[in-house]
Amino acid sequence: MNAVTTAAGTAQLVGGVALAPLLPGLVQHWKARLQGRRGPSPVQPYRELRRLWAKSTVTVEGTGVLYRLAPSVIAASLGAAVLLVPLTADAPALGVGHDVLALAGLLALARFAAAASAWDTANGFSLMGASRDLMIAVFVEGTMVLSFAVAALVAGTTDLRGLIAGTAGTAAWAGPVLALGGVAFALVAIAETGRQPVDNPDTHLELTMVHEGPLLEYAGRDLAYLHWAMAARHWVVLVLAAQVFVPHPAGGWAQLALLPITLGVLCAVLALTETLLAKARILLVPRLLAAGALVALLGITARLAGIS
Amino acid sequence: MTIGTTGRTEAIESRGNPGAVARPRVGGSVGTVEIAEVGTMTYRSRLTEALAAGWRYGGTHVAAGGDRVRTLLTAPGGATLLLGVPVEGGKVPTVVDLAPAACWDEREAADLHGIGFIGHAPLRSLVDHGDLGRWTVPVAGTDLCQVAVGPIHAGVIESGHFRFHLVGDRILHLDARLFYKHRGLERAAEGSTLDRGAAYVARACGACAVANGVAYAHACEQVLGLVPTPALSRARTLLLELERLWSHLNDVAAICAGVGLAAGNTRFAGFTERARRVNAELSGHRFLFGTVRVGGNDLVADGGQVRAVRAALDALRVEVTSGWRELMFNASFQDRLPGAGVVATEAARRLGTVGPAARAAGLAEDVRTASPRLHYPGFRPVVPDRATGDVRARLEQRGLELWQTFDLLDGLLDRPVEPATAERGAPPGPIGVGRVESPRGATTCVVESDGARVTRLRLRTGSYANWPSVAAAAPGNLLVDFPLINKSFELCYACADR
Repeated sequence: MNAVTTAAGTAQLVGGVALAPLLPGLVQHWKARLQGRRGPSPVQPYRELRRLWAKSTVTVEGTGVLYRLAPSVIAASLGAAVLLVPLTADAPALGVGHDVLALAGLLALARFAAAASAWDTANGFSLMGASRDLMIAVFVEGTMVLSFAVAALVAGTTDLRGLIAGTAGTAAWAGPVLALGGVAFALVAIAETGRQPVDNPDTHLELTMVHEGPLLEYAGRDLAYLHWAMAARHWVVLVLAAQVFVPHPAGGWAQLALLPITLGVLCAVLALTETLLAKARILLVPRLLAAGALVALLGITARLAGIS
Repeated sequence: MTIGTTGRTEAIESRGNPGAVARPRVGGSVGTVEIAEVGTMTYRSRLTEALAAGWRYGGTHVAAGGDRVRTLLTAPGGATLLLGVPVEGGKVPTVVDLAPAACWDEREAADLHGIGFIGHAPLRSLVDHGDLGRWTVPVAGTDLCQVAVGPIHAGVIESGHFRFHLVGDRILHLDARLFYKHRGLERAAEGSTLDRGAAYVARACGACAVANGVAYAHACEQVLGLVPTPALSRARTLLLELERLWSHLNDVAAICAGVGLAAGNTRFAGFTERARRVNAELSGHRFLFGTVRVGGNDLVADGGQVRAVRAALDALRVEVTSGWRELMFNASFQDRLPGAGVVATEAARRLGTVGPAARAAGLAEDVRTASPRLHYPGFRPVVPDRATGDVRARLEQRGLELWQTFDLLDGLLDRPVEPATAERGAPPGPIGVGRVESPRGATTCVVESDGARVTRLRLRTGSYANWPSVAAAAPGNLLVDFPLINKSFELCYACADR
C-alpha cells in the first residue's frame, strides 16, 4: 500500500466518522450568516452529539425489536456507506467493496429501518414523516441510480474508484453527459440530505416534518447515533458529488487536496439554496425528482448516441 | 341616540312593523348603539329581517344578571343594534341557523353561563372541554385516521389543540379546541370601575392591546356620554395604526416561516422589531401597553419626536417595499400560496369572517370606514385584485394594508401628539358598544354598566371571530400545508382565552 492510498484510506475513515458532523454544522452556520443572524458555531453538531451521548436512552412502552434496533441498523448502514465511498481513485479496499449500487442499497436499508421503527412506535408524526420519506424515496432512488448510470457509462464501471478515475480530468467534461448526470444528482443530494426545497431540517412544525418525524421517539445515545447517521449521509452524498459530478483532477494527492475545498463550496451552495428557496409543495417533490430522472435519461441517451 | 331599555321595548313591540326597525341607518355622529328588547317569539324573525336588510351579525352575549341574551347587529354604515331576548327556563332560541357566525358565541354562553339554545343541536362544548365526544364532530368512514396536535407544540406557540381527520395526507375535517388558558377576565372585570376595567381588557392579549383597549374605551365613553375630541381621536388612531403596522409585518414573517423561507422570515421579523422599537420610542412600550385609557389620552410626543418617528417609518417603508418585492418575485415561495386554505366570499360571509381574511375573500368590509370616534377621513377598504380567499390573497391583502397604514401614519404624524380628553356630547346609556378594526379584524367590546361600574363586559376580538374560518379553510388541503394556512390567518389564542 503506497502513501497516497494510506492517506486516502485514513482521510476516508477519519473524515466519514469524525468530520461528517462538520458538514451540516457548516451549512447551518453559513445559512445563519446569509440570513443576517449570528447563528450557531460550525461545531455545534459535535456539542449536540456530546450532550446526547451523555444522556440515557428511552424505551417507548409496547415497542419491540424494530424500535430497539433501528438506531444501530441506521448507524451501521451509514458506517458501511462511509467505508464504501472512496475519496480518491486509488483508495484502499475496506472490506465492503466500492460498488455504487450497494451504496444505494445501504441508504435504502437505513431508510427502511427508520420507517420500521416509526411503524413500531406508532407515533402519528413519526409515521407521517416515514410515509412521506418512503414516498419521496421512490423517486430519489430511481433518480440516484439513473445519475450513477450516466457516470458509469462515462467511466465504464459501477465501481466507485473507477467512477472517480473515469470522470477525472477534463476529457470526461468535453461533452454534456456528465453535467446532465450532475444536475440529476444535485436533486438527489438535496433530497438525501433532507434539505430545502424537499425537507426543512430546521423545522419543528410537527405537521411538515419528513426526516425529523421518525426521530421523535428517540433520546440520548439512540438519538446521537441518528444524528451522526444524518451527518454521515451528508458526507457520503457530498463526497460522491465532489469526486464524481464536480470536475476534479486525476492524481490521488490532488484529489485529496481539492476535496475539502469542494465540500466547503457544496455546503455553501446548500446554505444558499436553503436560504433563497421555500420548501416546495410536497406533491411537487416527486415531479422535481422525476425531472431530475429525465435529465439523467437525457444524459444516458446522449452517451449512447455517442455525443460524448 | 341611546335609548333606555324599557321604553324601547314598548316602542318596538307596539310598532308592528319590524322592517322599519331593522333597516340599517347611519349611526349618530359618534356611533351610538340602539337597544331593542324583543320577545322570545319575535327574536328570530327580527334577526332574519335585519340580516335580510343588510345588517351583519356582531356577537351574542349574556346580559348582566343573566336574565337576557343580547345579539349585536351592525350595519355597514356603522350603526349598531342590540337585540335583547329574555332567558326563559334557562333557554333562548338559537340564531345559529340564521347567522352561523353565532356558533362560538352560543357555545361559549352555554359553557360559561349555562344558557341553553333551543334548536342549536348538538350544542358542542367550547370553553369547557369535556370528553372528546362532547366537542368533536364525529367523522366516520374507511381509511380515516386522526392526527392530534397540541396543546403543547414544538415551538413558541400558544396553547391550542387541533384534531385532524385525514384520509392519507388530505384533511377531511378539523376540530380546533382552544380556551386552554381561559382566564375569566370578563367576569373578573365585573364590579370594577369603568376606568379600572381597562386593565382587564388590556391583559386579554398582548398583540391586540391597543385595539382591545380602544374598543373598551369607546364602549365606556358611550356609557358615560363622552365624545372624543379630535386630538383624542387622532392619538388613538395613531396607536391603532402603529399596532397594525408591526402586526402585519409579523404576519408576513410568519407566512414565510410557514413555508420555511428563512430569508423572508428573518427579514420581516427584523422589520417587525424595528416597528416595535418605533412604538417604544413613542410610547415607552414596544407593544404599546398602557397607552389607552377611558376618557382621555396621556400619550405625548413633541415636534421633534414626531418628526423622528415619521423619518424612522419612512426609512422602514423603503426597506419593507424592497423586502415585499423580493417575496413577490420568489417563485418557490409564490408557488406555495395559491389555492391553499381557501375561504371563498360566500363562506366568509356565512362564517362571519372579519378583517384581512374577509377582505382577501372579496368582502370589502372594514370598521375603519365608519369609525366616527376615530380619525379616518375618507377611508376606503382595499381588496386585492385576485380576492380568491386563499393564502396568496391573504398575504397580498397584508401588503395592501401595509401601504395604507404607512400612508395613514404619515398623515397622523404631521403634528405633535398632545394629551387630550373626551368631552360630554351625547346622552349616557346603560350599554356601550365599541367597535374597532384590529389587525385581525373587527373587535367588538360591549360594556353594560350601572353608570359607574362594569356590570357586564364582553370582548369579541377579530381572532375570536376568525378561528372558525381557519377550521373551515383546512378541509381539502394537505396536512403539510396546514401550518401555512394557519399562519396566513395568524390569530391570537389569548384573544379567545380572555
